Amino acid sequence: MNYVKGLLDEIGLGGERLEMFFLSSAEGMRWAEIATEMAQRIKEMGPNPLGDGHGD
Amino acid sequence: MIVAEQKPLDEIKSLVSDLGMADPLHGKVLVLGCGTCVTVCFAGGEKEVGILASSLRMATGLDGKEVEFLEATVQRQCEYEYNEAIAELLPQVDAVVSIACGIGVQTMNEQFPETLTIPGLNTTFLGQPTEQGVWEERCQACGNCVLGTTGGICPIARCAKSLLNGPCGGSQNGVCEVDSDTPCAWQLIYDRMTALGKPELLYELNDMKDWRTSCDGGARKIVREDLQLSVGVAAGEES
Repeated sequence: MNYVKGLLDEIGLGGERLEMFFLSSAEGMRWAEIATEMAQRIKEMGPNPLGDGHGD
Repeated sequence: MIVAEQKPLDEIKSLVSDLGMADPLHGKVLVLGCGTCVTVCFAGGEKEVGILASSLRMATGLDGKEVEFLEATVQRQCEYEYNEAIAELLPQVDAVVSIACGIGVQTMNEQFPETLTIPGLNTTFLGQPTEQGVWEERCQACGNCVLGTTGGICPIARCAKSLLNGPCGGSQNGVCEVDSDTPCAWQLIYDRMTALGKPELLYELNDMKDWRTSCDGGARKIVREDLQLSVGVAAGEES
């Protein structure tokens, strides 16, 4: 994970776009919190500068 | 084995733009790996080719360039016969980024001189994986091996000063003064020879080491006439 985050930083996309969380299927509330947190983080970071259909 | 590590992505990107591409905004580059030493030190194998090519695609895309990156890996990039497998890809590319060791990069440039092959790795040393994820230098290819007299521990590679007669005054508690993580090679040698029951051999006078076989003085060459196909046939030539 840290390796890929480092790669994303080196490339210039930003390692904060990627995160790993551990939770079980019974943790619905936590899942909602995580989804909200990541959505907020990505909104602040802005869209993927490479856009759609980059082929990767 | 030869141990190498990948150059920083920014450096590889600059080398590609500055050297590899005639048109600064468009191009086609082959990322070429090697299946031998650099695979087992996780620097230049097939997986690393995939990761580097993806990274370069994204990074050059962010820079506003359109560069297509092809991917390939050969079994051993230091031998002409293995590189023939990718020869047909070369006419269509502007340059090759090789993540083989320096020998592979040079072989590619020699074998296919019309295509520039750029290094993607820094080849660092001859070494051993001492634990998962850690490689340490063990040999400097001095050409005149003294391991028989030192209990199998190399004073050329493992002593910071390559001393041949015992430790210097900087050896403290079995540790080299240069770096506290580095054991004193001569302490290791003494301990090993003692464990082997032959410490007295360390007091024997050996002949002066012949350094003419080491890398100072130019590139070295070995010729085995018993193995040559016919005398005078160079690599890649028909006999």
